[in-house]
Amino acid sequence: MGRLDFARCALLECVLRERGAVDWIAVGLSVDVPAGTVVPRRVNDTDMAIWCSAAGKLHAWGDRCPHRGMRLSHGFVRGETLSCIYHGWQYGMDGTCSYIPAHPQLEPPKTICARSYACNEQDQMIWVALAPTQAKTPDAEGRRPVRSLEITLPVAKVAEGLGHPMSSLMVLGGVYDLAVALQPSTQHSCVLHAFAGADQERKQVSRHLEKMRAELESADA
Amino acid sequence: MILYDYILSASCYQVRLMAALLGQPLTTRAVNFHPAKEHKSPEMLKLNPKGTLPVLQDGDLVLTESAEILRYLTRDTPDWRGQDEVWLSFAAALNGSIGTARLHDILSYDADIDAVRRAGVQHLRQLEAHLVEQRFDGMIFLTGHTPTIADIACFPTTALAPDGGVSLDVYPSIRLWMRAIRSLPGFIEMPGIHRLHELEAAP
Amino acid sequence: MREAVDDHWYPVGLLSGLEDTRKTLLLGREIAVGRNGAGVFVRDAAGRALPTVARFGHLWTSPGQPTRDLFTIPEADTPGRQLVDVGSVRVKCSPLRAVENFLDIAHFPFVHTDILGAEPHTEVERYQVDIREEVDEVWATEVKFFQPQAARSAEGGIKTEYMYRVPAPTCAVLYKTCPPRPGEWDVITLFVQPLTEEWCEVWPWMALYDDQSTMAEMVSFQQMIFMQDRSILENQIPRKLPLDPGMEVPTQADMTSVAYRRWLKRIGYTYGAQLVAA
Repeated sequence: MGRLDFARCALLECVLRERGAVDWIAVGLSVDVPAGTVVPRRVNDTDMAIWCSAAGKLHAWGDRCPHRGMRLSHGFVRGETLSCIYHGWQYGMDGTCSYIPAHPQLEPPKTICARSYACNEQDQMIWVALAPTQAKTPDAEGRRPVRSLEITLPVAKVAEGLGHPMSSLMVLGGVYDLAVALQPSTQHSCVLHAFAGADQERKQVSRHLEKMRAELESADA
Repeated sequence: MILYDYILSASCYQVRLMAALLGQPLTTRAVNFHPAKEHKSPEMLKLNPKGTLPVLQDGDLVLTESAEILRYLTRDTPDWRGQDEVWLSFAAALNGSIGTARLHDILSYDADIDAVRRAGVQHLRQLEAHLVEQRFDGMIFLTGHTPTIADIACFPTTALAPDGGVSLDVYPSIRLWMRAIRSLPGFIEMPGIHRLHELEAAP
Repeated sequence: MREAVDDHWYPVGLLSGLEDTRKTLLLGREIAVGRNGAGVFVRDAAGRALPTVARFGHLWTSPGQPTRDLFTIPEADTPGRQLVDVGSVRVKCSPLRAVENFLDIAHFPFVHTDILGAEPHTEVERYQVDIREEVDEVWATEVKFFQPQAARSAEGGIKTEYMYRVPAPTCAVLYKTCPPRPGEWDVITLFVQPLTEEWCEVWPWMALYDDQSTMAEMVSFQQMIFMQDRSILENQIPRKLPLDPGMEVPTQADMTSVAYRRWLKRIGYTYGAQLVAA
């Protein structure tokens, strides 16, 4: 990263902080991205490929192969590498291209590189940060992740509907011991990732979340 | 057994996939559904007056409903049967929503595209909610630990949803369920549903 | 003088499929295509008749003033070939992305696995590419690639030879070695109707020497291949084709694509292209 780019990122971070934006954004449950798989995620209109290597190492990359712009989330994981489905270009842990099948003898230039983002796993939830951050990933205080649901409302509407100021992890009052993390995906939709107390019946919680979503969406309609 | 087949049809693929997973030999006869509309030709109408595909012919027997064909193929393999009735009709509903959106987007069929996509999203949400609960119970398939015709009936249209502009990105349990089906021994692909390259060793 | 985007010929329908009037888009504008007592017609939104050419099983039109005749494919006229109307498929991508993908062989092992290519036979050997000024076309020759099953009769893999030709910005012609007739080339084309800059209707067409397959089998094969490509084309970012270097990274295997992009830029064909912001 050039000095100027770094300065830009730092500036962006300040702006985001002032607006009350969050450092770490939940993008999914660890069990939903098991070893050897890759999934697409959209975070604030940024397309990401989240993948987990055979050894269990998680990565969050820009969802675009530098070669011909194909989404890397359509690709495949072999061992500790992610390959693009289009031409099989293979990328190693550091994001640089390690193998181009059309030219098996060629050592790819180090400049061919997927964009990578900070990615952390905590409380069996995957968190990413769009800009460098010193903040710690939120603590779910012993709650376990239950599931993720898309809500076709802007993230601010959902936070408002839940009666909470936007933060990385919001503890909700109510019948169930629930905490939710909201992933802003597009201008019009977000994904809710829910945690519940370890003693909570997950099927009941899941049905409760379905109902909550239906209420939020119909209140807006 | 002869399958009168159209390569891009999700319902024909159901039959090809089921036969492949069972290891049953199947002879396919390509029908020029698009652009020649051969499924409405006099020869095909004689075989199936409804003028639809798939058509399965086994000796004198002719079957023209996908669900019926799946039941017929698995008549001697009880492992592949379960509480499937409700899912066979759900598969038909998926075909009406997501399947219609796909025909609209690929082959320019008439449809109220926003309405069928909205209905498709509701269907996918139902499927996801069910699969979430299955996974809580340690099961990945629709009706249990092993796949049944319920899974094979619902899989093709679901997996082809992006063809009709309906994203599958936000359904983690559906994605893992599809992956489990794609990992089954004998799995075959169709255009729009590719194989798992990761299952083959790197050269 | 160079032709403007409007002055090129575009495919808008299958001659065998023209019945009543069909409304469609061409370069973002509505047109009506059909057949009546007087023959085939294309009209613009104002009802003005647009010029037409019937060739390669398709109806072609142009919203502008074409200065040249539609290109020809002399090889396709040799007797004994099966002329295959593959029919159209709509794709949400730039018409130029659809053409570029058609010119690419390195994706065969991953997108058309076990049909047009297979691991570990992924290497693309050096081939010849040139922009033929005298005809204003892009050509790639001596393209060779391992094909697992070249024909239904072929056992095991063989090295297949290809030639690629871009006779117009949204059309490409592939000449491919023809197992039953050594020395002849099968002709496989991709004609693209630009609906908008990011949405197209693709009309593949073929002229093959094939005495074994039924027409339905040949249509089915080509629709299968193209639909495998469609899932790639709808997932490239950006949807438009970047013409300036920097946004995407080509290698030697992409020489045809590099020449195609360079040629588009040179002739000023930027409909469906992304140019670096000035």
